This record gives sequence, structure tokens and C-alpha cells, in this order.
Amino acid sequence: MTEAAARAGNPASSFKNRRKKEALYGYLLASPVILGFLIFVLGPMIASFIFSFTDYNVISRMNFVGLANYRNLFDGTDPFFYKSLGVTAYYVLLGVPLQIVCSFLMALLLNQNIQGRSIFRTIFYLPTIVPVVASSVLFLWLLNPDIGLFNQILEMLGLPTSQWIYSERMAVPSLVLMSLWTIGGTTVIFLAGLQGVPRHLYEAVEVDGGKARHRLLYVTIPLMTPTIFFNTVMGLIGGFQIFGQAYIMTQGGPNNATLFYSYYLYREAFDNFRMGSASAIAWVLFVIILAMTLLVFKSSNLWVFNENEEGKR
Amino acid sequence: MKTIKAYLMLAVIALVVAACSGNGANNGRSGANAPDNASEAGSGKQEPVTIKYTFWGSPNEKKVQEAAIKGFMKKYPWITVKAQHIPEEYTTKLQTMAVSGETPDIGLLYGEDTMKWAEEGRLYNIKDFFDNDSEIQLTDVLENTQYWWDEGKLAGINGALEVFGLFYNKAMFEELGVEPLPTKAEEALSWEEFVEVAQRLTIDSGGRNALDPAFDPGKIKQFGISLPTWAYMNAVESNGGKFVNEDGTQFMLSEPEAVEAIQRWQDLIYKYHVAPTPTQSASFPGGATGLQSKKFAISMDGQWTLVDLGASGLDFGIGVLPVMKQMKTMNLGEPIVIFKDTKHPQEAWLLLKWMMNPENTLELQSSGLWMPVLKKWYEDPELIAKWAQGNSAHPEGYVDAILNNGFNNGFQNTVYYVRNVPEINSVLQPAFDLIWQGKQTAEQALGDVKPKVEAVLKGVYNR
Repeated sequence: MTEAAARAGNPASSFKNRRKKEALYGYLLASPVILGFLIFVLGPMIASFIFSFTDYNVISRMNFVGLANYRNLFDGTDPFFYKSLGVTAYYVLLGVPLQIVCSFLMALLLNQNIQGRSIFRTIFYLPTIVPVVASSVLFLWLLNPDIGLFNQILEMLGLPTSQWIYSERMAVPSLVLMSLWTIGGTTVIFLAGLQGVPRHLYEAVEVDGGKARHRLLYVTIPLMTPTIFFNTVMGLIGGFQIFGQAYIMTQGGPNNATLFYSYYLYREAFDNFRMGSASAIAWVLFVIILAMTLLVFKSSNLWVFNENEEGKR
Repeated sequence: MKTIKAYLMLAVIALVVAACSGNGANNGRSGANAPDNASEAGSGKQEPVTIKYTFWGSPNEKKVQEAAIKGFMKKYPWITVKAQHIPEEYTTKLQTMAVSGETPDIGLLYGEDTMKWAEEGRLYNIKDFFDNDSEIQLTDVLENTQYWWDEGKLAGINGALEVFGLFYNKAMFEELGVEPLPTKAEEALSWEEFVEVAQRLTIDSGGRNALDPAFDPGKIKQFGISLPTWAYMNAVESNGGKFVNEDGTQFMLSEPEAVEAIQRWQDLIYKYHVAPTPTQSASFPGGATGLQSKKFAISMDGQWTLVDLGASGLDFGIGVLPVMKQMKTMNLGEPIVIFKDTKHPQEAWLLLKWMMNPENTLELQSSGLWMPVLKKWYEDPELIAKWAQGNSAHPEGYVDAILNNGFNNGFQNTVYYVRNVPEINSVLQPAFDLIWQGKQTAEQALGDVKPKVEAVLKGVYNR
């Protein structure tokens, strides 16, 4: 459509023209995000997918090696693949449920009608905005077996002390403990979810003579399942990507006890400079996280309460 | 999580850039500018030339290196050197520069990367420059500072030499009535004597030393010695052990000599309690500060620690390493290399030669950080006096304990001759975790890891 035609007063064409213009502006204004995604996410993803079939090491010409990178991982040629998978799975299985439970309980507490509630909310959220590097350094001191605060408290209470991150057995649990310090973000999401629980349902429980325990079991938890679901998925994704703690605090040690998958990937890429193999490792992680997420999604029919489909359950 | 995303992002950006430009850049450079075309450098009128030099190091190193480069540009007015200081993530940065066609002309490079880059044909053979130069011979340079990646192929020469020694807090020795440590290699302490000295210097909170039967290892106030556990090759070589066999096909740290040596170091920590455990040393400062704050009386360390000791004002002494079967001290250092991408190899060579001459970087040598790489600076008393005597970083004893010992009894760190060191270390490190944490004996841990290491051994570099 030409502009002349539009000016001539053809209503249909002028409408179409405006639609077109709007669309153009829409794309234009969204373009930073779209371009950002294409250039910094999709492009690199495609590139790394291609690299995962090569022996690319940055300084020399790359050759296609077919599935060799993947084969080396799965047939155990690479001695760290299964170890790092196991370590990461252990961290996720131990950490995510604990994080969900703790942040849920915290949200319940912060949802009480108490004095200075917003101050408490701020305080508990605050650790979340501390960069992982800073909190790692902080916990290095707290967890220090000789002069750390944790052991000093245990000693004061007459309890046995721990070697924390310096012990093969305690390293991952120590990092899980540390992760509980930064559950503020999850707590806030739970808090938001709690606001959405209709008051009248609680009143109904009260009318029926229900106690706090009944309110929690029959109203709060069922209505919160979508939020729990969301937080579980996010926790899983985040858990599998744990990196900074291993990089800063343990360097994967002792004896590979904290050789988390992402750290192993980093080491392959930036210590050994095997970008091909590192890309393969990254793609395997992508598939694992995808599978886990799908699994949780699939299971959600069984336990997530969905208001819109109430009748169908 | 954010960090990993950032790293991944960086990685993929690098990869994409590589995909776009890598091949083109690769093609153009092969074979161009052989070193022979540059004999013109010595002649009169010169086209102005700009070369890029990259390096890492402390602010102090940066300052001195930049001053050295200023001197260089004064001497060779037609050459402009753009010195780029990269204090962090050096290798990653250089790789990124390489894929975007911004490779420097000359620069420092870590030993293990040097070998890899050389094998990929990305570095000049420095030997060719020596062969075509009448001012300097390869024989003028310490053998142990040379990185050879194949017969007749020299990838680089250390920016500086580093060796190991003992550094101690004199006041602590006097307080406990311990004789100063010997400085001459011939008079070095035997292992048993050394253990005893360390025991006498280790004090618990009740004031008892580690020789006292009532000594409480759970409450140690000061340790006798701080060990550089990562530099265990010092012990291994001193006891006649090796890292790998001649052709690099067998792992030798599980052999009796090496096992005994490493076990002796472990015993310092867990049997005699004279050296801190890894967790204990994580809680107090190392190096000069540890000596100064009396956390330990002796620090076994690389001689670069002198730069801090010299500046600390501490009254410290220097001793020669203890000896097991033979006196050995590890030589290490990272090389300066000339990149194949350079269009001005001859100018880069002039700069390399300039940086090798301590005359131009004297502050780095006299401050205690660097040792020269040219032999005559170890042999000529006049030159020795210029850097290793009469300053706070080089007290009495230095010339014997560090300089002469390093010159006469040095051996090369594994990275100079073993292939695939980064991967070997990633397999070996967990075994050493178990050793230094006292979970397993040296024999057990090294025996167990032997097949895993041998699976990633790829031989040695011929020189």
C-alpha cells in the first residue's frame, strides 16, 4: 500500500498500514532483546553445538571428530565426567529440597502479622544480593576449621567440630548449608504466593473448627503448589549450574569432592583449552537439565493444584 | 550461577568470533616473515615499527617492565613498543586475542601454554635468532630457563629464573637458641637434622616444643616450617626420584625414592606436627607475613618471596634447602616468546634480548623478585654485586644459599619437559589432596593414581 492510497481515505488500507507501522515499531523497540538473544544466546549456542563435534582448541585449526567428544564422556575415557555428575546430583538432591522447605518455612514466618515485619523481610532477603564471590570468601572464613565461627560455636556448645569444606565427606553438605544463606529470593516468591491465598478459605477452616495445622495442610500447601513447583524448577536449574563456590572455595577438591559439573566444564575449557570437549559437556548438561525439568513438569499433574482445571482433577 | 553464565557467555562470544575470523587469520600468517629477512634491523635508517608486548605481574613488576621498555625505545627510536599489562586470566585473554587476529608480537606466556602454542606452530623458534646474532649466544643463557619443544626448537626463555630456598625469622631462632641455618650447599642439613630443627621451632600453647613428650599437637602456637606442598618435586629430586621415566611413558612418583621423599614431607605435617595442615595454613597468612607474625619460623619457598621480605623490614635469614640424597632446588619461571603472527620478528627479538639483560630491568632483580637468566650474572662478582648484594632483599647468605645453589644444583620443573602437564595435574591433584590431608600414605595414594596418570602421559619433549 502506498501512502497516497492511505491518504485517499481507503479505511481498510489505512488500518492495515497502521498495523504494519505498529508492528514495525514493536519489533524496533523489542529489537535490543531480540538481537541480544540472537547474538549472545542463540548464535553462541549453535556455535557451541557445532564445536562439540570438533577438536577445537582456539589456537589451532579445528577438525571434525564426529561424536568422539561425547563418546569420551560416556565410555569413561574422561575420568571426571561421572564423578562430576555424581557430585552435582548429590548437591542438587540434598540442596534443592532443603532450600524449598527452609524458604517455605521462612516465608510462612515472614507472613505473620508481627512488628517490624518489613525489616525482617529485608534482612532475610539481603544475603541474596551479595555476589557469590563475596559470600564465598565470607564462608571460607566462617567454615575455617581452625578459626572459623562455626567451629567455635560448636566448640562452645561442647559439640564435635567439623573440617567442613576441607573434608571429602562434608564438603558438599557444607556448600548446601551455605546455599541456605541465600534463599531470600525463593522466600520472596513464596511470600508473593502466600498473598494470593484467598482469606475466605482460611475463614472456612476456622468456621469448621480447624486449627493452624489444618489451615496449613488443607489450604496453604495445596494452594501454594504452583509456587512450590516453580521454585523447584528454578532450584533444579540453578543447582545444576553451581560454579562459583567450587571455583573460589574448593577448586573442586578435596579429592574431587566438589568437582561440580560447571566447574569441570570450566576446567576443560579454560585450563585444558579443549573447547570441543567442553562444548559437548555443556550440551550434555543442557539435556540433563531439560530432562529433569520435563520430568518435574510431567509429575506436576500429580501434585500441583491448578485453579483453572479444578474440576478435572 | 551468574558467574558461570558470564563465563559461558565469554566463552561462546570467543567461539563465535573464532568461527567468523579464525580461519582467515590462520591462513594469512603461515610462513610469512621468517627470521632471516630481518638482518636489516642493525642497519641505519629504519621504517617506524610498532610492536605489542603483553605481560602479567604485580603493580611493581608492571612499573619496572614499563621503565625497561621506555629504555628500549630510547635505544631503538624507530621501534614503538605497546606494552599491555594483563594481570588476570592471562591465557584466556591471549587466546581471545589470537582468534580475533590481535595476537601480540612478543610476550610472556605460561610454560604449559608455550609448549602447546609452539607445537601448533604459533611461536618462532628462538634458536634461529640466536644463530643469526653475533651479540649473544645461546650458551650465555642458563639451560634451565629454556623451553625446548623439539630437537633444535626453542620456544622461549624465562623472563626470570626462580629457585627454592629457606627463609627464616632470625628473632625466633635466637629466642629458642637455634643455630642459624647453613647457607652453603655442602653444609646443608640432612633430613634428620632438618626435622629436629623444625621440631625445636614448633611450640604449643604451653610453650613446649615438638620434641617434648608432653607436646600437644592439638594446640600449636607456632610451626617450625611452612611447606610449599605443590613444589614436592624439590623433595623427590633431592631423594633421587623422578616425575616420569626418560621417555615419559612411565609415572615415577610411585617409585620408592619419590614415595619416600613425599612421605617425609607428609610426616612433617602429621607425624612430627612441625608444618601446618592445608586447613591450618588456609587460616593464616603465608610467605613474608606468616614469618613476620610468627606463625612459622621457616618458610620453604621460591626466592620471589624476597620481594615481600625485603619490603617488610623483618630481620630474616636465608638458608639452603635440606638435602636428602643430593642437593637439588627446583628451577621454574615462565618464558617470553615471539609469536608467529608478528610482522616484525626482528624487532621483537631485539626486545627479547633487551628484557634478558638485567642491566635494563635491574630493579626487578635487586628487589628480589627475579633472578637473571644470563649466566655471567651468576659468575662475575661485579655483576653479582649489582643485584644480589647490599640491598634489603638480598641479605648475607643469599649468594650461597640461593644464587650459587640455584646455579649449580637446579633442576627443571616438570612443565619444561613433560607433555600434557595440565591434564596430568588434574588427575594427580586428587591423590595429593589425600596425601596432604593425611588421609592416605604417599605410597598408597601415588600407587593408586599411577594407572590413571599413565593413561594421560604423552611422553616428553626432546631437546
